[in-house]
Amino acid sequence: MGIDKVETSDADLVRRVLDGDTRAYAGLVARYRDRLGRYAMHMLGNREDAEEALQDAFVRGYRSLARCYEPERFGAWLYGILVNRCRTTGARATRRGRLFVRDEGALNGFAHPSGAERTEWEDAVHRALARLAPEYREAFLLKHVEDLEYETMARLTGAGVSALKMRVKRAREQLQVILREAERV
Amino acid sequence: MSEHDEDVIERVVSELRRPVQIDPAVDTRVMEEIARLPVRRGHGGLRAARVAWRWLARPRAISLSPLAGLGIAAVFAALVLALSGRWPGPPSAPPGERATREFQFVVVEPHAARVSLVGDFNDWDAARTPMRRMQGGSVWSAVVPLRPGRYRYAFLVDGRRWLADPTAPAARDDEFGTPSSVVTVGSS
Repeated sequence: MGIDKVETSDADLVRRVLDGDTRAYAGLVARYRDRLGRYAMHMLGNREDAEEALQDAFVRGYRSLARCYEPERFGAWLYGILVNRCRTTGARATRRGRLFVRDEGALNGFAHPSGAERTEWEDAVHRALARLAPEYREAFLLKHVEDLEYETMARLTGAGVSALKMRVKRAREQLQVILREAERV
Repeated sequence: MSEHDEDVIERVVSELRRPVQIDPAVDTRVMEEIARLPVRRGHGGLRAARVAWRWLARPRAISLSPLAGLGIAAVFAALVLALSGRWPGPPSAPPGERATREFQFVVVEPHAARVSLVGDFNDWDAARTPMRRMQGGSVWSAVVPLRPGRYRYAFLVDGRRWLADPTAPAARDDEFGTPSSVVTVGSS
C-alpha cells in the first residue's frame, strides 16, 4: 500500500508566509531552487553569479511577497524577479570583465543522465550559448528551454512580443551558425 | 531553414533542458538573510483596526445645497494640492531632518467597490491602507504619514486590478510585473 504525498500548494505557502510563518518560505525556496537555478546558470554561465542572483531573487521575492496577488502563480512571479536579477548580475559581471567564464564547477552542475563525461557537443552548446548577446540568450532560454508563451515572456522582460520573436529567431540562427562552425573544426 | 538546422536546435534545447543541481546551501543562506529582516506582520492582528476603519468609512447620507457642494469641492482640491506639495503653501509638518509628513493619495475610480493604496511604506499589503471614497463619488483618498525618502506605490482596485498613479512619475526600476509610481518626500 502506497502513501500518497499531498504537496502543499504555492498559494497555501504564500498565505502562511504572509500570515507571519516565515519558515513556510523555505518550502517555496526548495521547490523552485533547481528550476530557477537552471535558468540563472544558463543565463550567467557561472555558478557563483547564478547562485548570487538566485539568492537575491528569493530574498526580494520574500520582501515583496505581498505584491504577489496571484499566489497560485508564485513561480511565474518569482521568474520575473530572477530575470531582472540576472540582467543586473550579468551587467555587473560584464563590467568586471568576467562575463560567461565557464568554470568546471559550473559545468559539473549540469546533471548527466549516464554519469558520463561531458561530450564535445555539450561543451559546444554551452560555448555557443555564451556567445549570444544577453537579450538573445534570455529570449531563447525563456522560449525554448523554459517553454514560456510569448505573452508571458513579454510580461517578464518588458519587451514587446514582436521584438521577442525577432530575438528568438536571431538566437536560433546564430546558434546554428556557431555550432556548424564548431562541427567543422 | 533546413531539416538539419531544425535538428541542431532540437539537440541544443534537449541539452539545455537537462536538470541542474543547485547547492541546497542556497536555501540556508536565503532563510538566514530573511531571518535578519524585520518580522512580517501577520494579517490577523489587523482585524480590530479594520472593523474600526469600516465604521469610520461607512457611507452616511448628507444633504448639501449645490453651493455648499461646490465649496467643499474647492476646499478638497486645495487640500490635495497643498498636501501633495504642488501648490506653494505652509508645510504640513514642522521642518525637521526626518520629520514625518502626511501625504494624501487620490485616484478617480467611479466603478470600484474598494480601492487600496499599496507601496513600500506598507509592505505592499492591500489590507493595511484601504482608501476612502470621497462623498460617495468617484474619488478615492488615503492619507499616509511618510518620512523623507523615495517610495514606490500603486492602487489596487477591487483586489485585482493594479493601477499606477496617472499623475505621478512611473517607477522604472520595478521588477514585480505590475506598474507602479514614485513619490519622493523631501526632508523639509
